[in-house]
Amino acid sequence: MRVKRHPIIEAKEQSQIRFIFNGNEVIGYQGDTIASALHALGIKVLSRSIQKHRARGFYCAIGNCGSCHMIVDNVPNVKTCITKLEPGMVVSTQKGLGKII
Amino acid sequence: MIEKDLIIIGGGPAGLKAAKSALDSGSSVLIIERNSELGGQLIKQTHKFFGSEKQYAKTRGFDIAHILISELAPYKERLEIELDTTVVGLYKDHVVTTLKDDSYQKYHAKAIIVATGASEKVLAFENNDLPGIYGAGAVQTLMNLYRVLPGKEVVMIGSGNIGLIVSYQLMQAGVVVKAVIEAAPTIGGYKVHASKLRRLGVPILTSTTIKKAFGTDQLEKIEIVSIDKNWKEISGSERIIFTDTLCVSVGLSPMHQLLSMAEIKMHCINELGGLVPSISDFHETSMEKVFVCGDVIGVEEASSAMVEGALIGLVAAERIGYVHPKLTELKTDYLMQLDALRSGPFGKKSRIGLDRLKVSEHA
Repeated sequence: MRVKRHPIIEAKEQSQIRFIFNGNEVIGYQGDTIASALHALGIKVLSRSIQKHRARGFYCAIGNCGSCHMIVDNVPNVKTCITKLEPGMVVSTQKGLGKII
Repeated sequence: MIEKDLIIIGGGPAGLKAAKSALDSGSSVLIIERNSELGGQLIKQTHKFFGSEKQYAKTRGFDIAHILISELAPYKERLEIELDTTVVGLYKDHVVTTLKDDSYQKYHAKAIIVATGASEKVLAFENNDLPGIYGAGAVQTLMNLYRVLPGKEVVMIGSGNIGLIVSYQLMQAGVVVKAVIEAAPTIGGYKVHASKLRRLGVPILTSTTIKKAFGTDQLEKIEIVSIDKNWKEISGSERIIFTDTLCVSVGLSPMHQLLSMAEIKMHCINELGGLVPSISDFHETSMEKVFVCGDVIGVEEASSAMVEGALIGLVAAERIGYVHPKLTELKTDYLMQLDALRSGPFGKKSRIGLDRLKVSEHA
């Protein structure tokens, strides 16, 4: 869900960005981070915790807390709350520790 | 290794004002900022500021960010700005290492100002890790910067100014605020913010805390409970509120990690938000020529962070030989502004905290 009308912030027409989430093509907008685009689509679960596989969403949205890590273009532990969305990105839910090597 | 006069870590309100003062004094400056734009958390603040005109009262936060950035425009030759760059190391020999796009860089500076700000605290309760539970600042970022709604309904924990202001901004964006809950017996923030919410019918429940969150994979409802004057839960007072979003606004902690890494002497002062460096009268830490300003030396409002930045920029520049022609006059003015900002009942916590820091220093 996106803000429809706002008394202070001006609405800007933004171009669409197509990207892949867990194998499906989805749409975000210019200016989105990966996490904001997913959230607007109603996707709140970004990763699964290491031991108990609990659902994890973002918490701070400014790159501090590490709760928003996902696998982006095969790279794990990407802070999706501060990573700008780009066309064609392949994003998937990270389950547990990411494999770095 | 790249040699620099003054490196400022953090391009928020404190760092930007520090840069302006240092540039005015004649120093060259490198600002290193993790984000892709300058302004820190001002960029998501749609509300008008309080304080006096000197601290941009009646101007909206994001407009203040633009002003602070434009104030640096005349200094292009002596100012360098590295965006999307994270400082990953601060060392005793004044070496600063950064990471940008997977590549490292090493700098050496004559003086360093750490203006890293603060991060949102979390609150311990059952299932506090469910998606749908966010920091209040996070929700502000989501809706004001990216124009994405956090959910349909929100409960806010904490009635400090951030909790109250973000609740109001949630309503402006079209979200239903079901309640603001506050563990203390009185509302924490300014009455004017609380009154706005009350006029719109939002209940502010004092002496109330959250007990538990429920949901599979995302938040569905919460259980709240009343507490007595000894902060003990009153059994039988539990209530359920259905909500898909919960905002946690229980304060901030200084981002001390770089200072701790450099083994700078630290103290834990609750009134200032947690671990803060021990400082001289003009904010020099135990590491010579390393200064601090803004929330990293005690969580306050952006107004104080800006004045502190302006002051410390002058002092740091002076320390490395660039003396502002009006140094004494400006210092006195900034110190008086800080005193004024901290003088009321809402400045009490900062005053106590800063006093305690001084006492810890001599203990």
